[in-house]
Amino acid sequence: MSFVAFFVTQSANALSQTALLFFLGVGLTLIFGIMRIVNFAHGTFYMLGAFIGYSVARLTGSFWIALLVAPLAVGAVGALFELGILRRLYRRDASAFLMVTFGLALVLGELIRLAWGPEALRVEPPSAFAGIVFLMGEPFPTYRLFLAGAGIVVALALWQFLDRTRLGLLIRATSQNAEMVHALGTDVDLVRSAVFGIGCGLAGVGGVLAAPLVTASIGMAAQMIIDAFVIVIIGGMGSFPGSLIAAVVVAFVQVFGEYYLPDLALAFMYLVMLLVLVVRPGGLLGKEA
Amino acid sequence: MAVVLALAPLALPLYTMTLLTEALILGLLAMSLDLMVGYARLISFGHAAAYGFGAYVSGWLLLHTSLPMVVAIPIAALLAGTIAIGVAWVCTQATGVSFSMLTLAFAQLLYAVAYKWTSLTGGSDGLAGIPRRPGPFGLHLFVTRNGFYYLVVIALLGAFVFCRALVRSPFGAVLRGIRENEPKTTALGYNTRAYKIAVVALSYALGALAGALYAPFAGFANTELLFWLLSGQALIMVIIGGAGTLVGPILGAVFFLTVAHQLSNYTEAWALFFGLIFIAFVIFAPEGIWGLVTARLARHAPGARPGAEYDDGAPGTR
Amino acid sequence: MALLELDELTRRFGGLVAVDHVTMRVAEGEVRAIIGPNGAGKSTLFNLITGVLKPTQGRVRFAGETVTGLSVPRICQRGIARTFQLTALFPEMSARENARLAAQAREARRWHFYGGAATLAEAGRRADRALEQLGLGRVADRPAGLLSHGDQRLLEVAMALAQEPRLLLLDEPTQGLSVEETAQAVETLAGLLADGQMTVLLVEHDMEVVFRLAHQITVLHRGAVIADGPPQAIKDDAEVQSAYLGGFA
Repeated sequence: MSFVAFFVTQSANALSQTALLFFLGVGLTLIFGIMRIVNFAHGTFYMLGAFIGYSVARLTGSFWIALLVAPLAVGAVGALFELGILRRLYRRDASAFLMVTFGLALVLGELIRLAWGPEALRVEPPSAFAGIVFLMGEPFPTYRLFLAGAGIVVALALWQFLDRTRLGLLIRATSQNAEMVHALGTDVDLVRSAVFGIGCGLAGVGGVLAAPLVTASIGMAAQMIIDAFVIVIIGGMGSFPGSLIAAVVVAFVQVFGEYYLPDLALAFMYLVMLLVLVVRPGGLLGKEA
Repeated sequence: MAVVLALAPLALPLYTMTLLTEALILGLLAMSLDLMVGYARLISFGHAAAYGFGAYVSGWLLLHTSLPMVVAIPIAALLAGTIAIGVAWVCTQATGVSFSMLTLAFAQLLYAVAYKWTSLTGGSDGLAGIPRRPGPFGLHLFVTRNGFYYLVVIALLGAFVFCRALVRSPFGAVLRGIRENEPKTTALGYNTRAYKIAVVALSYALGALAGALYAPFAGFANTELLFWLLSGQALIMVIIGGAGTLVGPILGAVFFLTVAHQLSNYTEAWALFFGLIFIAFVIFAPEGIWGLVTARLARHAPGARPGAEYDDGAPGTR
Repeated sequence: MALLELDELTRRFGGLVAVDHVTMRVAEGEVRAIIGPNGAGKSTLFNLITGVLKPTQGRVRFAGETVTGLSVPRICQRGIARTFQLTALFPEMSARENARLAAQAREARRWHFYGGAATLAEAGRRADRALEQLGLGRVADRPAGLLSHGDQRLLEVAMALAQEPRLLLLDEPTQGLSVEETAQAVETLAGLLADGQMTVLLVEHDMEVVFRLAHQITVLHRGAVIADGPPQAIKDDAEVQSAYLGGFA
């Protein structure tokens, strides 16, 4: 395989990975931007998306229905959790949030294990994208191209949503000055619930989309939350464009790192996270933590 | 309490003794975590790193050298503490959530290393057949089941005495200042970073001591000991038991292990149950079981109502 | 030689010049008040002196040694103690414990964790003395968070005093106090400063407090020194009057 072909296929790989990481990280970024809390259970919501997607796909025989239903379900779970539990903690200090969402990660993880069993589950990619294309003469799964495309579409949609819709405006305003928004008559609590739900829903989308590639499994959660957090850190805690850039950076580091230095890729990523945290505690594009 | 612990082997059946020994080892782990979490409000999600590291080092020493157990264990703890200074230095570059995520990241890293470095660590199978080597000078006292139990009791009590002295010392007063208002503590002239590094290193050293005891106790050490679930369980023990009390986390560990054992006989979902209890405690009873107990005792002391002595009409401004 | 020397001290935030080439000499035993309209740069000046902020230009010299660029703890250890505009205390510790932690910072063996009883005892003695001086002896065992606002402000001063500093920086000590509390605080401070041993930098808005306590006044406006002199001269200064009344508040 020529180097150019190698580079192109791996880059395409990295782009599809970017999409997955973006879905994972942007939700956490949104949640942090509004609520100043890190949702430790975010990786678990991602997993939940994958598992619900699996069940819906099996039930209906359609990947697309799963793609629609699963994120909504996951988002609903997230919003309910915020309503029922997180709301009680807004007057407490940040460590309480961290621990409660940690507890949620454990509880959700166990629920998933009890409901779907400890075995990894296989989800079939939709027939439209189940094949192979040829990039510079090398075979490349169509599904990954689909992923990269989906990532772009969703990123654009999110951008427009935040930029032009009323809820998007409220979200941006609340992340800058919640008190003002409240004073102007908006129910800030509702905005928060919506954001938490949307953030978890986005993670759910990532989970469903990832399922055909990476067999849905229980062990994912810890690694996912770290990945998500790395993205939030590198991109800036609360910056939407930052999370996109960070997803690209991390995806490329992971994909090329895995190839050249397979054992060190993990360490290298932590090093990057460390460096960013040291140099700019607020992340590359974001506000102070 | 020490007396109760000392007399336990005479009264309890074999199986319970094993459980109790493990509970005390976990109690040591939880107490070590409490130093960081309860006294300095540095939440670590990666304490399994200390535990696993201690277990692997003492296990490796017992397998590949002729060091006696009572020498290998402290060596593992000291080594961990020394390395932890570096880890702490890195992690304390950040504060708050970022600090916690760094501790988790480090633990994951250690987990991945242990998993892959099969020649040293045995990969996911880990180290097996770890002996309880007697000595020095033919000291066989701790090798038996009951004897090992006493070793654990001694270690736990020793660590407890040390920690209690620490938190009541000037060093401990500074930790408290850091916990309640770190910027002010800095403004008073304290190098708070150095204090944080010190408490994290000590916390990891004692956690490694627990792990180092576990290896000869169970006879094996594997990657499960480095997994984040264990970090989580340690944190649960601290919170449910009562952060910032030293005693609470030990109770939390005993509670956790006994209930987990009983529950797992009836249902697969005991971990779920604990997760829910944990969340409930964080929300409704952050002072933990021991905190609740001591508060109740204080209330029943003659003439005591918290804050009563301050009711002289002066306006409070909380 | 002055105890505190500021030379062309400047701090910019992007395009904003918060502190503009401030040059000042404070003699030992002097009580210097720093006044000026809001936004004049008074708190920034304190932050520069104590090391919370690094100057863009200029330097700070204390007791003959340059301290610009040192970390906050190090500068404090040289003998500078400070109170804050927004009360900063340890709310769950008692007043005595608050003051003791402040005093402990001056002990040589403050970081030891054995043999600590002696250190704690000595620090406790200094704390008690400081509390007495500020009239807080009666609330010594009360959690700081439960003190009245006035007592909290005084506790801040007590904590600074417990460190037996050579230079004391008071940032609006009477802020938020009622008229009676202010009068009481001023009398207490006047008593403390009567023997001329303490060097003080005092940021204040309340002119009565300033005229009661200060030997010399420096006026800041938009980060720059516009007047510097004894209280009577400042009262009569036309430029000062225009700065306060000329619509730049």
